[in-house]
Amino acid sequence: MFIYLDKESLLHRLHPVTKIVGLLLLFIWAMVFNHPLYLSIIFVIVLFLSILAKSLSNLKKFWILLIILAFFSTLLWSLFLRGPTRIFKLGFIQISKESLLYGLAMGIRIDTMILSGIIFLSSTRTEDFTLGLSSLGLPFPVSFALSLSFRLVPTFQATTSTIIQAQKSRGLDLESGHLLKRIKKHIPLFIPILIHAIRNTDLLAMALESKGFGFKKRRTYYLHFRYKWQDWLSIAILAGLIGLSFYLRLNGYGVIFRRI
Amino acid sequence: MKELFTMWKHTRMVVLTAVIASVYAAVLIPFKPIPIIPGFTEIRPANVLPIICSLMFGPAAAWGSAFGNLIGDFFGTLGLGSIFGFLGNFLYGFIPYKVWRIISKEEPTIKGSKKLLKYIFLVFLASSVCGVVIGWGVDLLGLVPFSALANIITINNFLVASILGPFLLIILYPRIKRWGLLYSDILEERELPRKNLRGLGLILISIGGLGGIVLGNLISLGIYHSGFLGAGFITGTTGSLGIALGMVPVIFLILIGSMLL
Repeated sequence: MFIYLDKESLLHRLHPVTKIVGLLLLFIWAMVFNHPLYLSIIFVIVLFLSILAKSLSNLKKFWILLIILAFFSTLLWSLFLRGPTRIFKLGFIQISKESLLYGLAMGIRIDTMILSGIIFLSSTRTEDFTLGLSSLGLPFPVSFALSLSFRLVPTFQATTSTIIQAQKSRGLDLESGHLLKRIKKHIPLFIPILIHAIRNTDLLAMALESKGFGFKKRRTYYLHFRYKWQDWLSIAILAGLIGLSFYLRLNGYGVIFRRI
Repeated sequence: MKELFTMWKHTRMVVLTAVIASVYAAVLIPFKPIPIIPGFTEIRPANVLPIICSLMFGPAAAWGSAFGNLIGDFFGTLGLGSIFGFLGNFLYGFIPYKVWRIISKEEPTIKGSKKLLKYIFLVFLASSVCGVVIGWGVDLLGLVPFSALANIITINNFLVASILGPFLLIILYPRIKRWGLLYSDILEERELPRKNLRGLGLILISIGGLGGIVLGNLISLGIYHSGFLGAGFITGTTGSLGIALGMVPVIFLILIGSMLL
């Protein structure tokens, strides 16, 4: 994918289905607690997975985004939730110990989810991802369309960038003016972008059909993955940890406010 | 809504889905650095694309918008909220062509005030449904208050699509028609939306979409003293049972209405 790292790691070798299911399980795990201490433990485990996936170089690209997200989340939750132990008040703005802790927890939750996504994207190729979706029962034309979309994005990004530069060189100024004026200035950009993109639709469709697209219901694939013991173990460990987390949560651990 | 599934038999619709998704993502990504709510939403001129593509390419635009938004999230903001982003953008690309077939028998080249009014109505309906679904979803997950995100998405989508859309359709629609790429030209007659119960679907989805924005804000403003738009960050609340349960009938109406359209 866009941030895929071509490396040899335990996570790279997992079956694509394991990675998709694992990603969903990590998202669910991050939703179980709302206490910063418990969520920090999950975050550290996900960070360890990032080391296992050799994706720390991608983490370096996104650390500013992670800090911004955590900061905004902590700030907004601290300001608008009310808790019993008030620690700051200025007019209608007040912060309690509980709202601050909850805000911090939500910041860690969002960062855990984003970090899980980064690990997945760093260790999964587009082909593997679409094959995984097909294995999970998604019809082939749908997974093919998704795969083709991923492949076409860089092409159209380059086109968009060229068109923006060309129109700017003709004097188009996208930055000045009020909001409505700035929105209107996008018309000279959208028309060539869309025309360029759609013009080749027929050709691409004919090329696909000439190669037998949609001819047979059952397909064979060039890529082959087999479930190995590592796949079953990974899912079992994650499912076990989530089960334990739910048990703890139901017994009152890892809760600041009684909400998600 | 069977055309959403039968369209996958047509190679040109499959390719159009991929093209719309990639153009949507390619135009979304350069604007990621101009956030309205950092990490959650940004200025999105690309949001005109689902509307105009829906009027030209029908169901391919619904899937294309959903895929395009998901691809945009793959640039670093993939999370559980992406599921609601997928659903909201799917409906944003699904509603326009369905509603246009109900409210007008003419081509969607927006010439004249009557057509413009119809166009504005469907843009506002699609924008509010998108805002309600995403706003409800991320509020349910405890990420951002409904009153902040749903209103911003609705206004952002509505402004961009209502200003840019008519100009783009006047120029693009005749050309796409000449190329034989309109969804009504690609799909077979029996696959096109049928007439029974479409009116009821429009009523239900209108109540769900427009009412959802009002109800969601009322729940936030009244019960939880949430502020409007940006102020929602100061006093709003999320992840609460009030929004989660209070909005269930609205979400239900939107889903049933979509199925009947």
